[in-house]
Amino acid sequence: MSRKDFIRRMRKSKLFIIGLAGILAIALLCFLSPLFAQFNPTKSELSNRLLEPEWFSKGLGGHVFGCDSMGRDVLTRLLIGGRTSLLIAFSVVIITTLIGLVIGLLAGYYGGVMDLMLMRVCDIMMALPTLLLAICVVAVMGASVTNLVVVLSITGWIMVARVVRSTVMTIRNSEYIKAAIVLGIPNYKIIFKEVLPNVVSPVIITATQAFGGMILTEASMSFLGLGVPAPAPSWGAMISDGREYIATAPWVVIVPGIALMLVVLAFNFLGDGLNDIMNPKNKD
Amino acid sequence: MLKKILRRVALTLIVLFGVTIIAFVLVRLSPGDPAVQMLPATATEEQILNMRERMGLNEPYIIQYFMYLGNLLKGDLGFSFHFNMDCGALILARLINTAKITIIGVLIALIISIPLGMIAGIKRGTAVDTAATAFALCGQAMSPVWLCLLMILIFSVGLKWLPTQGVGTWKHMVMPSLCVGFSFCSLVTRMLRSSMIDVLQEEYITATRARGISKFVVYVKYAFKNAILPIVTISGAQLGLLLAGSMVIEQIFNWPGLGQLTVTAISSRDFQLVQSILVVVAIIMVLCNLLVDILYTFIDKRVSFN
Repeated sequence: MSRKDFIRRMRKSKLFIIGLAGILAIALLCFLSPLFAQFNPTKSELSNRLLEPEWFSKGLGGHVFGCDSMGRDVLTRLLIGGRTSLLIAFSVVIITTLIGLVIGLLAGYYGGVMDLMLMRVCDIMMALPTLLLAICVVAVMGASVTNLVVVLSITGWIMVARVVRSTVMTIRNSEYIKAAIVLGIPNYKIIFKEVLPNVVSPVIITATQAFGGMILTEASMSFLGLGVPAPAPSWGAMISDGREYIATAPWVVIVPGIALMLVVLAFNFLGDGLNDIMNPKNKD
Repeated sequence: MLKKILRRVALTLIVLFGVTIIAFVLVRLSPGDPAVQMLPATATEEQILNMRERMGLNEPYIIQYFMYLGNLLKGDLGFSFHFNMDCGALILARLINTAKITIIGVLIALIISIPLGMIAGIKRGTAVDTAATAFALCGQAMSPVWLCLLMILIFSVGLKWLPTQGVGTWKHMVMPSLCVGFSFCSLVTRMLRSSMIDVLQEEYITATRARGISKFVVYVKYAFKNAILPIVTISGAQLGLLLAGSMVIEQIFNWPGLGQLTVTAISSRDFQLVQSILVVVAIIMVLCNLLVDILYTFIDKRVSFN
C-alpha cells in the first residue's frame, strides 16, 4: 500500500479517527494535568469528605467531580491515576510486542524443534488465565508499578507471538523466500529485509487491540489491592475505595468507571480502525 | 484419527506438566517458610526443624518437585493452613459455586446474544443493529469491577430488588451471574453479527433462497450453522476470561467461589492453596479447550481433528 493510499484510507475510517482523537484528548488531559490541577492527589482533607460534585459552578477551581472518602479531589486523582494507567499499559504493550515479535519470528521462520518448544511455552501460559497468573506473581514479588509492568508483560506476549508466527509461516512458504534461501542469502538478512516488513501491520493491529485489555487487567489488579500501591491514585483503586460509599456517594465510583470505559473504547476503536485500514483483505 | 487424538492428549499432558512446574517455582519463590505457617505461632525452633524434615523441605528442589508431582498424581492437593483443611475438598466445594454462576451467566448471555447478533447481522444498518453494536462495544470496554458496582447501584441501592451480596436464595445469584456473562454476551453479539454478515454474502445462501425456502429457515438453518463457527473457536479461550472475571465479581458479591478463594489464599499468603488452585484451573482450561476442539470437528465437517 502506498503512503498516499494509506492516508486516504485513514481519513475515511471513522473508527480510526474517533479512536485516535479520543486517545490524544485523554492522554493530553492526563499528562498536562500538573499544569492546571488545583489539588494534591494524595493529601486528604477530611472537611471535604465525600463532597458532592460541584461541576463547573466554580470553574476549574472547584471540586468538579466532588471528593472521595478521604476528601481528595476526584478529578485530580482521575487525571494523575490515568497517567499511571496509560504509562503502564504503554510500557507493557511495547515490551510484549518486542518479546512476541522475536519469539514469533524465531518459531515461524525456523519451525521444527524451535517452533515446537516455543509454542508449548505459549500453550502452558495460555492454560492459566492472565489475571490469575498475574496476581500470583505479584503476590510473590510484591506490588509496585515496576512489578505490575513485568507481570503483565510475562503474560501478555503470547498473543503477539502467535500472530507473528502464523504470518511468518505463510511468508516462509512463499516462492521468493525459498529463492532467497537458495541464493544463499543469510537468514538474518532474509528475516530483517523480507519477513519483518510483512509482519508490521498485524503486529500493530494486535498491539493496539491489546491496550484496552491491559488497562482493564491493571484496573482489576488495583481493585484487588495487587496493582499500583496506595496512596498513589489509580482508577481501579479509586473504584475499590468508593465501593463502601456507593449508596451515599456514587460519583466516587462512577467517574473513574466512565473514564476507564472511554479509554478502553477509544483503544478498541483505534484497533478496529487500524484493522480496517491495514488489513489487505478489507478492500474499500 | 486415533493418532491425532493421541497426539493431542500428549500435548495436553505436556501443558499440564509445565503448569505444575510454574506452580511449584512460584511457591518456592514465595516469601515465608511453609513449615512455620503450618505450626502455631508459639512453635519452638525444634518443632519447626522437625516440621521442615517431615514436609521434605530439606531435600533438594528437584526431589521436592517430584515429591509434589507424586502427591498430585495420587490426587493429594496438599493442606491449606489458612482454612485448616484439605485443598482438594475446599477447591471442589468452591468450584461448584463458581460453576453455578458461570453456567447461568453463559446461558443468559447466549440466550440474549444469539438472537441479537443474528438480527443485527441480518438487518444491517437499522436501529436494532446500531443498538446491538453500541451494546457490544460498551460491554467489552467495561471493567467487571465497575459493572458489578453499577448493578449494585441500580438493582440494590436504587430499586431495592436484589441483595448486595452473599448466598442463599436465587436472588443472590442474579447479579453475579449477569456480571459473569456480560462481557461474553457482548463479544458473542459482536462476532455473530460480523460473521452473519459474511455468511449471508455467500453464494449458497442466495442459492437456497432461490429455491424458494423461506427467509427464516435460511437464516436459522443454513446461515446460523456457519456463522456460529468462529464463536465456537474462541469459546475455549473465553473460559479463561470468565474465570479471571469471576475473581473480581465473587470478591464484590462475596460469593464463595473459586475466584474469592484465590483472592483469600493470596491475601493470607496460603501458597500451598494458591499452587493447587493454579493446577486445578489449568486442568479445567485444558479439558475445556480439548472439548471445544472435538466439538468443532463435529459441527464443521471441513476441518479434521488435529
